[in-house]
Amino acid sequence: MTSTNRFANRLLVFVCGLVLLVVGGAAAAAMLVPGIREVWKDTGAQVTDQVDSALEQTRLVGLEVSWILIAVVALLVIAIVVLIVFIARHGHGHTSRAVTDSSGEHGTTIVESSVAEQALQDALDDHSEFVASHVSTYAVRRTPVLKVSVTCRRGVSPKDAAAIVESKLLALDGLLGRELPALIQVSGGFRARVGKTTRLQ
Amino acid sequence: MSSSTKALYARIGRRETHSSRSMLAIVLAIILIVVFAWVGTEVVIALLGLPALLVAPSDMFASAVGLAEQPAALVSIAGIVAAVIGLVLIVLSLSPGRRARHLIDTERAVTVVDNEVIASALARHASYAGNVDPDNATVSVSHRLGVVDLTPTSGIPADRDAVTRAVSDQLDSYGLRPTVRARVRIAEKGKVGA
Repeated sequence: MTSTNRFANRLLVFVCGLVLLVVGGAAAAAMLVPGIREVWKDTGAQVTDQVDSALEQTRLVGLEVSWILIAVVALLVIAIVVLIVFIARHGHGHTSRAVTDSSGEHGTTIVESSVAEQALQDALDDHSEFVASHVSTYAVRRTPVLKVSVTCRRGVSPKDAAAIVESKLLALDGLLGRELPALIQVSGGFRARVGKTTRLQ
Repeated sequence: MSSSTKALYARIGRRETHSSRSMLAIVLAIILIVVFAWVGTEVVIALLGLPALLVAPSDMFASAVGLAEQPAALVSIAGIVAAVIGLVLIVLSLSPGRRARHLIDTERAVTVVDNEVIASALARHASYAGNVDPDNATVSVSHRLGVVDLTPTSGIPADRDAVTRAVSDQLDSYGLRPTVRARVRIAEKGKVGA
């Protein structure tokens, strides 16, 4: 339900994996295959010479350091900022607006999502099938979607649990005069396992 | 239901039944941040001409290029370990990452159910049908298969067909996506007083 960019997650994991695989594989190959080991030694000396001369030529006047190293530091800082933004973008997507209706002539009607959340929460609290319930609202592709998560007692049929929540949702539809898209999440978990078995069929 | 709601429900259903790989991505990002910050600090310290924290950048470069002169066993083991971790990460990034959940056909909403809840409901019906105590029915539900293990009470045989019928009826009535097949196993030795 969150707006987390899953493709970015997988891309980061894939790139890290590829880099580790290539670097690790190259290092192992250089050690275990004599031919590659010779090539590595030869090119290693060349690379050292080239990098030394490049650092020598790009020396900044007055500072006595190469601008390549400063650029490397700048790139690392940019990469760190990008990664921090990447981490911070996880788990967003909550919204406080359930309905925004501007079809009337005299202005806009806004229904806060807490109206729907509290109405559902109140209705679900009375049911002994559920150990716990929680209602929240997310914006999925700019559409407000209700997320009703319920924790069932041991042995409650998932179909019955879903039917109870659906009946509450239909009642809410009547109250609001429109259908809000909804997700019902039926879960078990620790509290369900240690709790009492239901007596309902 | 309008087509836009249908598309929305398909997207939600898919996202709720598959892992976002967020944990892994965040852990990798934190490791990268620490490594980048360390390398950057070392470069800045070297530029200022101060002694290095752990390894000077010139030494890092020299040891990477001169890898072939390092002890062979150590480097090859480290390389193989890194390559295996890399391979695991690639597999994780490409695999679907299914979570232990099923979708249920409902009209008004998308419904996702933990496999644990399905198993616990099946255990209740299986124990009634098999005439055993609920504590002696163990059910595990995976993507396509639900395995019911019953330990009958000594002297009271459990009817395997009745249990299979009860469990299959329940599974059919839930309307799970993907569908789950039931397999019932009844222990040969009963339990006394169970």
